[in-house]
Amino acid sequence: MASETTAGLGGNDLGVDLGDHVRRIGRRDRVATGVLTAIVAFVILLLASIVGFILFKGLGRALAPGFLTTSPLADENPGISSEVFDSFYMLLITLLISVPISLGGAIFLVEYAPDTWVTKAASTAIETLSSLPSIVVGMFGSLFFVVTLGWGISIIAGAMALTMFNIPILVRVIQQALHDVPRSQRDAALAMGLTRWETTRYVLLPAAMPAIVTGVVISAGRVFGEAAALIFTSGSAAVNINFASANLASPRNPWNVFRPAETLAVHIWKLKMEPTPGNDEIVWGTAAVLIVCVLLFNVLARVLGKALAKKMTSE
Amino acid sequence: MAPATAARDTLLHTSGVTVRYDYTHEALHPTTLAFEAGTVTALIGPSGCGKSTYLRCLNLMNREIPRCVVEGEIRYHGHDVNTPDENLFELRKSIGMVFQQPTPFRKSIRENILFAPRRHGRIKGRAEGDELVETSLRQAALWDEVKDKLGQSGLGLSGGQQQRLCIARTLAMRPDVVLFDEPCSALDPISTYSIEETIRSIAQAGICCVIVTHNMEQATRVSDRTAFFYVGDMVETGATKRIFSAPKDQRLADYLSGRFG
Repeated sequence: MASETTAGLGGNDLGVDLGDHVRRIGRRDRVATGVLTAIVAFVILLLASIVGFILFKGLGRALAPGFLTTSPLADENPGISSEVFDSFYMLLITLLISVPISLGGAIFLVEYAPDTWVTKAASTAIETLSSLPSIVVGMFGSLFFVVTLGWGISIIAGAMALTMFNIPILVRVIQQALHDVPRSQRDAALAMGLTRWETTRYVLLPAAMPAIVTGVVISAGRVFGEAAALIFTSGSAAVNINFASANLASPRNPWNVFRPAETLAVHIWKLKMEPTPGNDEIVWGTAAVLIVCVLLFNVLARVLGKALAKKMTSE
Repeated sequence: MAPATAARDTLLHTSGVTVRYDYTHEALHPTTLAFEAGTVTALIGPSGCGKSTYLRCLNLMNREIPRCVVEGEIRYHGHDVNTPDENLFELRKSIGMVFQQPTPFRKSIRENILFAPRRHGRIKGRAEGDELVETSLRQAALWDEVKDKLGQSGLGLSGGQQQRLCIARTLAMRPDVVLFDEPCSALDPISTYSIEETIRSIAQAGICCVIVTHNMEQATRVSDRTAFFYVGDMVETGATKRIFSAPKDQRLADYLSGRFG
């Protein structure tokens, strides 16, 4: 170890006991390493025990035959087929709306916006939006999308509420990703006579893409587990989806965005609100499904981001 | 205004060019210089003397910096380009620039070279592209090293190769002026040597090269003419041999003898 080789020097010309000093900083280094390791270990333990507990309580039910494929309104052994579908469908619609808007907003803020008070105000507004309580966003969504715009309790109203709280997260992630592309890449492209748009579209966005994809998938995990913003906007009533329905206007047609929907997270809240025998098991099963999905999103984010980055740097 | 010494092949001529950052801080005082086709001009001086700032005026890159104002006359082929309605994008197609850090795009070697010409609609068909890739890489003395891996990422190359790729990429635009902003400061001596060779050879092909360097040996090796900058002033200019053997200005003499910088 380096500390031992230098500790052997003992004193020096200045009469300072170097060995003592080296021993002291060596001890401090070990203490700091120990404390930091303990903190990280605590965090990992916390996560592992939450996930472990939920899986322990819920996995049995979650893996029971038919749980994922039976309607929640079935008389015997109700499942969560509608909730699973609604959660993914809601997420898809939310991303379809929020990703293009966030991409445009972030590109404008990073590449185009002049450095004035308007831009600073916009950035502050986006940050503020990201810290609005989601229940308040839900209240607004219910008043504006559901009532004022007359969309009713619907998937599209829920997706708009989720969009409102997804946009700030996405804008910040994409802004950061674009900022992290070295300034020299931008200059090099501009110095070749490319326009600002060509530079952004063909140099900066591809370079930032791994980080952007990672950010989008992680934000998807958050949206997927959101409940409060949806209770007043897309509703908390289980829907008996009819996958055979061909009538897009039918409230039972899975693709109808103007029908009410209940996501996994809302389903948990709903069942806990109306305790009836047998509910608890369904709650734990749903929680297990939800947490597995969210973990998968995080894994997916890493894998996709790494694969994209590798494809661009070494192929 | 300086009299136009207009030798037939003066490509770039600046008179009274000043640069102000943040609207007020004058980083470059009025500078008048001319650059001829087929020559290499070195801009030397201590850090912060304005040499890079001046270089970035020549292809109007300073316009990309917020609150930066460039005034004065920058004549390119006899036509003042420092006007609000000058088409920057057209100008930069014929005045190329190589930066301090190698900046290959996150694309394949082939795409790094073809990307801009294709965006400008200059490449028709695959054969033409192949030919441009080969000639550009040969000019930058990189062809033999990468000809078997044109499909691989430009970021997989060594630092010196990356810089030569950037030179090849710039040459693929068929510029008549190439600006080098300390192109070797991040490279080892062997890569540096090969880049200097490349600069000499493209100058022989008739291209006007301007190179900013803080390495005085490099200036003597590579350049025909030298301009010395000091605290925002262009202090002295002349043939490189004369500048290094018989400096007239005391500040230049001090700089050359290593008293500061």
